[in-house]
Amino acid sequence: MRKPIVWVLLGLVVLALLMLLPRPSERSGSAQSAEEVGNIREAIDETGRRGALVDEVVFTQESDVGRIAGLIERGQQQVYAQGITNITAYHRLRDSSKGDYETSYGSNTELSLNPAEFKEGLNPFRNRRIREAMNWLVDRRHVAEEIYGGMAVPRYLPMNTAFPDYARLAETARALELKYGHNPEKARRIITEEMKAMGATRREGQWYHEGEAVTLRILIRTEDARKQVGDYISNIMADLGFTVRRQYRTAQEASRIWIAGDPSAGQWNIYTGSWVSTAINRDVSSNLSFYYTNRGRPDPLWQAYDPAETLDNIARRLERRDYTSMEERRELMAEGMELAMEESYRIWLVDQLSIIPHASNVALAADLAGGIAGSRLWPYTLRYKNRLGGSMTFAAPSMLTEPWNPVAGSNWLFDTMIMRALNDPPLLPDPYTGLYRPQSIEGAEVTVAEDTVTQRTLDWVELEKTDRIEVPAETWIGWNAEKSRFRTVAEAHPEGLTARSRTRIRYEDGYLDGEWHDGTEMSLADLVLPWILNFARANENSPFFDPAHVPRFQVFEQYFKGWRILQRDPLVIEAYSDQVFPDAETIVAQQAMSPLPWHMLALGMMGERAGDLAFSSHKADANRVPWLSLVSGPSLEHLERHLGRARDRGYLPYASVLADMTEGEDPAARRYEAIGEWYRERGHFWVGNGPFYLHSVHPVEKTVVLRRNKDFRDPADKWLDFSEPEIPEVTLDGPMMVTQGQSATFTVKVTFGGDPYPARAISNLEYLLFDTGGELQAQSKAEFVADGRWRIRLDAETVSELGDGANSLEVAVTSSRVALPAFASHAFATVPVGTRLMEVADE
Amino acid sequence: MNSRLRDFRRLGWFTLRRVLALFVTVLIGVYLTILIANMGGKVDELRKIQIRATVSESVRADPAFMEMSSEERNELIQKQVQLRIEQRNLDEPFIWRSFDYLAQAIQLDLGRAEEMHSDTGSRAVYDIIVERLPATLLLFGTANLLVFFVSVYAALYLSRRYGSRLDRAVIGLAPSSAAPAWFYGIFLILLFAFVVPVLPAGGMVDIPPPEDPWLYAWSVLEHLVLPVIAMFLSSIFISIYSWRTFFLIHSSEDYVEMARAKGLPSSLIQSRYILRPTLAPIITNFLLMLIGLWSGAIILEQVFNWPGLGTLLFQAIGYRDTPVIIGGVVIFAYLLAVTVFMLDFLYAILDPRVRIEGGDQ
Repeated sequence: MRKPIVWVLLGLVVLALLMLLPRPSERSGSAQSAEEVGNIREAIDETGRRGALVDEVVFTQESDVGRIAGLIERGQQQVYAQGITNITAYHRLRDSSKGDYETSYGSNTELSLNPAEFKEGLNPFRNRRIREAMNWLVDRRHVAEEIYGGMAVPRYLPMNTAFPDYARLAETARALELKYGHNPEKARRIITEEMKAMGATRREGQWYHEGEAVTLRILIRTEDARKQVGDYISNIMADLGFTVRRQYRTAQEASRIWIAGDPSAGQWNIYTGSWVSTAINRDVSSNLSFYYTNRGRPDPLWQAYDPAETLDNIARRLERRDYTSMEERRELMAEGMELAMEESYRIWLVDQLSIIPHASNVALAADLAGGIAGSRLWPYTLRYKNRLGGSMTFAAPSMLTEPWNPVAGSNWLFDTMIMRALNDPPLLPDPYTGLYRPQSIEGAEVTVAEDTVTQRTLDWVELEKTDRIEVPAETWIGWNAEKSRFRTVAEAHPEGLTARSRTRIRYEDGYLDGEWHDGTEMSLADLVLPWILNFARANENSPFFDPAHVPRFQVFEQYFKGWRILQRDPLVIEAYSDQVFPDAETIVAQQAMSPLPWHMLALGMMGERAGDLAFSSHKADANRVPWLSLVSGPSLEHLERHLGRARDRGYLPYASVLADMTEGEDPAARRYEAIGEWYRERGHFWVGNGPFYLHSVHPVEKTVVLRRNKDFRDPADKWLDFSEPEIPEVTLDGPMMVTQGQSATFTVKVTFGGDPYPARAISNLEYLLFDTGGELQAQSKAEFVADGRWRIRLDAETVSELGDGANSLEVAVTSSRVALPAFASHAFATVPVGTRLMEVADE
Repeated sequence: MNSRLRDFRRLGWFTLRRVLALFVTVLIGVYLTILIANMGGKVDELRKIQIRATVSESVRADPAFMEMSSEERNELIQKQVQLRIEQRNLDEPFIWRSFDYLAQAIQLDLGRAEEMHSDTGSRAVYDIIVERLPATLLLFGTANLLVFFVSVYAALYLSRRYGSRLDRAVIGLAPSSAAPAWFYGIFLILLFAFVVPVLPAGGMVDIPPPEDPWLYAWSVLEHLVLPVIAMFLSSIFISIYSWRTFFLIHSSEDYVEMARAKGLPSSLIQSRYILRPTLAPIITNFLLMLIGLWSGAIILEQVFNWPGLGTLLFQAIGYRDTPVIIGGVVIFAYLLAVTVFMLDFLYAILDPRVRIEGGDQ
């Protein structure tokens, strides 16, 4: 009898202890984050720290996603570089106090419909209305929440919901999303009508055509959640009366059928497809051409696409940028999206959320589309939240996949991710908007032809338009390999040359006074040699000629119209091109030249010239020599040998031109001495100028160690504010019932981490008003009240136009700080005069 | 003299026939591997599709090509696809390539990989294989040698204590070997790397690898413990059980009973009357175990993140990299052929009853 009392007392004591325990801070995440950033900044100011915010990053290979959460919780790894879609791992990280994650939206799932007329049997999807009806048939919310366990958001349109174009078209997108919301009855009605019109009959719940059951072959990918998606779609098609054959296939098995096979052979009707973007794409206007016209790809399936003429024209105009203003582009996009939904060669289902796991005390900037592997800012932002310095372990599913060299080396995702930390480009893309920001340039002036639609968003770039852009005669437009000198525009185009854009880039003061990791001083030759090599590799008379480089070079040459150095200190260059982009910032990024240490390149060039090594895989295979790796393998002994020779000869490639561009006295001797010392200490030849240097490479152990470059040019807090995406959090409040003849006011609150979202960062805040029938009745901008607060007033006339019934008010918020738009909705009823309102009744 | 000459002639003839038979076996085995690995040439089609898909997506994602019209972009894709097809010789008929593969393989010219690289970045199949060999030999050599010697000695011991509690316990535990090593590996990792974190969860060495060679060796040993235990647990009981049964059968032979009846000491009976006559199967088993190390173990290596040959061959199959697959198989085939050849002679040395056909019985 005593025992229960003891247990009760014990329980009370435990409860009391729990109550006495200190409670977690009730401050908002944003406030905490601001305080942490403030502390870090203070520490940086005190120490004058430069380069990275951590001292060491160790990369290792881990292919078992199931272990990641455990390893992070145990403190053995801090970051996993790949986005994962494993629901169990997601739940574990979500519920863990030691684990956290970033989110990226780069992949999606869709249903590719085969629109071809089959040689035998009926293909329902050759009927445009049936394809369109599929949009009403599928329940995207079910797919996102049940099949993907919340790790996806519904998607309706041929553009990623996290990309800037979606934000630009937020209102149109919202309207189309409401129009094509889940409505199985409507879908069933249309499909029935159209099937009958195509001569099919329905007996005992099954569709028949010319006496044969109408069979749908559904090609289901098996590697991921698309298997469940395929089963889901198979079930609903079977419910509609189709005979369904499920064909479960892996990527390779399926590609033989859906990409390479003849679509009219009738081997498949529906394929569970998926597309991936590794970085934010700021211009998806060519998506219509790619996904809905036969110009998309030369493969047989695309050749079966025969869209309505209007859609085809719009797609072509968008692809060619045949519009005169951003507004016209927006209108074309809006109309194109609407027509694409009617054509529906694809039924877009969800944008998949990938989570990038990391320890809860770690912060870094992950790209909204490409995650960490796609982020250029990760080396500049990676830190422990509560302290400066320290070592961190990154795991990736693969690394050191192919040989590393900066000319034509490995471009595998995780190799590139590591290399990004070793070099410091002049511009860096914002991981949340995709807009380029200056890293080592002061500013830029972009001049484009009058008929070009280009806009400027950030104030570091100036944009102007002009009727005609003449390329000056002394501008370098090529490389004369025979005479080893530049070709000027005057030589190549004596009749004169014009371009569509001119970009003048002003690098930071003392840019060329910076140092490479091996301690050598940078010079203009580091900028010019990679450019010459680009031409040499496409010249058949050059020892560096590489046939694999030619197609890419031809494209470059088609648009490149020359460049020249206007000033050496501070460095100012001017580039001419026929290539223009909708964003002036992107034009600058494409024209800005990135330096590479000429002595490092020279060793590779000597190896290739001697026939020992080759920069590219293609040339290496053709000559049966090792593919040049600066970090490991059989290349190293060749490079070491060539280093000795280069040192003895004082080798400077293209000395006739570059001698004038190198630094100080006897630069070759100093550079080769430095890189020789570097190799002796670290066992590799990779020299960069990034916030980290390559400390050691352990290929068999699959480990790479980076350490902080203490002599980096910038203070460590330069990119500190970019540690997390400021995605607006939107709430919309207002009356539940509105009487006819009266006005109504709704309040929109826009916050981030509980704090008001600054008004200057809000690009647009529009509302859409839908009536009972789902028709758009009004669309306008909300009224600014204060930071974080906006107001929507519906006057009595607008309310009366809604009629009686349930209505929906939708708000779309776009921010200049993040590409991802935010939405909120509020349902309210309009009632006749005299109706007793709910609020009144409550009183 | 004549008799010795005749013996040598017989031996020479036997050797030639064995070598030829084994060579033909290797030839057929390797060519079958080439045909199977390439699905009779169908893999060419898959690889071409893969190349086209990869090139199409990389061109589409590259901002440098965004300004191009679809037609120009498709033309560029076509050029790049053609280059890659030529680079991999996929423009040649498979049947001719298959004979090239065979000729190279038989000459042990392993050639260059078509898709893969060694960890250090070499394209040579020899480098790709040799780089992984030490890790495989270390792990599987340690575990298999341990299992082999422990099981043989334990089996001998138990065969003398037939029906004892220990004997019954081992027999009772024999079905535990139904679970593969990776299965035990998962539990061991969970227990000793996460619940009681005393050993590393995977990999071959600490991250980052210690620079001091002694610390490096110590770290490798630490990482070796769990996979070796997993392999040991998964095969030790069944191995003891089978050897024990084997020794029990031989222990009841008449000549052993006779030795016991003569009152010879049990150690002498064990070494001279049991071990000596059973040496041939023991050595066969041992040598086959040694060459079995060559293939590694795919899942176990994956579970322990061990950079071994099993994972390598698995990757090669995934990439459909024929030269690497053939490289792995041809070396195994040659090792097996040499082992079988050696065993023919070892049997004759170890067992006086074995003689060349036509010789003295």
